[in-house]
Amino acid sequence: MITDDLGRSIPQIDRAERVVSLAPGATELAFAAGMGSQLVAVTTADNYPPAVQGLERISALPLNHEAIVALEPDLILASDQINDPREAEALAEVGIPTYFVSVGSLPDVSRVVRALGVLFGDEVAAGQYADSLEATLQALDTSRRGDADRPSVIFLIGDDTLFSFGPESYVHDMILVAGGRSLTAEMSTEAPVLSEEFVLAAQPEVLLTAFDPDPARLVELHPGWEAIPAIRDGRVFRIEPDLVLRDGPRLIAGTLAMRRALTAGS
Amino acid sequence: MNRILVAVGLGVLTPVTLIAGVAIGSVDVSAGDALSVFLSRLGTGAEASPTADAIVWDLRLPRVLMAMIVGGSLAVVGVAMQALVRNPLAEPYILGLSSGSAAGAATYYLGYLPAFAMGMLSMPVAAFLGGLLTITLVYGVARTDQGLSVTRLLLAGVAMSALMAAITSFVMLTSPEPNRMRAVLYWLMGSLSATRWSMLATPALVAVLGSVVLAGLSRPLDALLMGEEPARALGVPVERMKHLLIVLAALMTGVMVAYSGAIGFVGLIVPHAVRSVVGVSHRVVIPVSLVSGALFLVWADLAARSVLSGQDLPVGIATAIAGVPFFLMLLRRHRYPFG
Repeated sequence: MITDDLGRSIPQIDRAERVVSLAPGATELAFAAGMGSQLVAVTTADNYPPAVQGLERISALPLNHEAIVALEPDLILASDQINDPREAEALAEVGIPTYFVSVGSLPDVSRVVRALGVLFGDEVAAGQYADSLEATLQALDTSRRGDADRPSVIFLIGDDTLFSFGPESYVHDMILVAGGRSLTAEMSTEAPVLSEEFVLAAQPEVLLTAFDPDPARLVELHPGWEAIPAIRDGRVFRIEPDLVLRDGPRLIAGTLAMRRALTAGS
Repeated sequence: MNRILVAVGLGVLTPVTLIAGVAIGSVDVSAGDALSVFLSRLGTGAEASPTADAIVWDLRLPRVLMAMIVGGSLAVVGVAMQALVRNPLAEPYILGLSSGSAAGAATYYLGYLPAFAMGMLSMPVAAFLGGLLTITLVYGVARTDQGLSVTRLLLAGVAMSALMAAITSFVMLTSPEPNRMRAVLYWLMGSLSATRWSMLATPALVAVLGSVVLAGLSRPLDALLMGEEPARALGVPVERMKHLLIVLAALMTGVMVAYSGAIGFVGLIVPHAVRSVVGVSHRVVIPVSLVSGALFLVWADLAARSVLSGQDLPVGIATAIAGVPFFLMLLRRHRYPFG
């Protein structure tokens, strides 16, 4: 038996030849672990790496069970960010095991790459990939920096409805490594919708966004926000959404992008 | 005696509610800071921090005013519908009027309807039409030769609510503007969180006009409570009156839903409580319900936005939690007399 990141047990698999990925992050982790040639299908939302273009597509939300069964996979990869473990139980009933990955922090990325390499992919290639991710992270680590030198940051996913990240997210880790201090790490729910007055009162020095970072538009949408330091000082920066929202190796690139944003104009 | 007490009570509660509404929220602003914002805005030369000013003046005050407009309107619509069907269980949310309005508004917002060449007013108009269609159907189904069947009315309301919710889900999932979907989801639960000063004029106008018209109809409404035949005998043009009430209810609910989403049960709780204190005369019930509904929704919204730190919950959650047990209790009563 093998145990996945959620503590679920699945049968030992000698070598998975037909793998279906149910989450873009899982796909990217699989490629990093040297499993690219074993993947037969990915979700309709997948766009990276470019090699996914030639693969079959399935709908993950809602999950198209029939299409998955028709592909006759011997392994399914899923992510706890996107997929529901209960759906995996339904697939287990028809004899298809699902391995869940869970990325809750930056070190998790290389850990999962290594694990997938050992279990299903290319152990050596996965190890090298993980080493390079760790070296990149080490090179930019600012963890010894004191809180006083860290700009306070809020990451906003939506500009109108203020979706953000809850306490368990890896985003706070990314912001920390990039040299900032995330102000939403203490929220009480996992997928918070911030109130406008919360952002105002928190007085973030930098806003990182998944959308077009136009301070004028933000003030138009949220009256009073001109009193926020990040908006006053023009420190609103867009981070390519895929580099933050996809729970895979590109989070390291996302952290680099955050680092560039946090050092710009400071 | 009761009426004087009620007038004094509401007179005291209104400013208290207004102050609580701007002083309490998902982040802490001290009452002193809130007060200095008002003083500086009134030009007294007092200084307020820009953050407190933005929170109190730009975010909370319009929201409190919108809660008052919407709460008052929904309560008055509840009164009108209860007189129309001569049953205290009638309410815009329960009879499907709110869902119909929401379906109309969502269909427009998600890009399925032309703009009616009305710009800003297109969404309220779409909501009004959706609500009017729904309530007309519900009313038509409930009509019998012996008057309205309450069972049919409630069941038709439930069925039409379900249909309208299905239409809303369909337009959400297939929308040509998918990035608006999550915003709609939030708004469908009934939320006042994105209220701006610029949004207040239309609903305020509709609330005032609707309430004035209904207050003017107090006597015929009283007559309707006695039944259609007695009302006719008293010279009330019953059919025209019913049509007017339906259109007015759809108009007021539609406009409120377009701005705040479908907030349920205000029109049930408030008129019931008001009648139990001041009796059934519409000359009193309408203005008292208007003010009480306004205050009620501010407090419900206060509850919704202070439960989770840093986050707003849709106010519809709070009104449903308060309203559903109330509704069930009314249902259990063998006979609920008006008054």
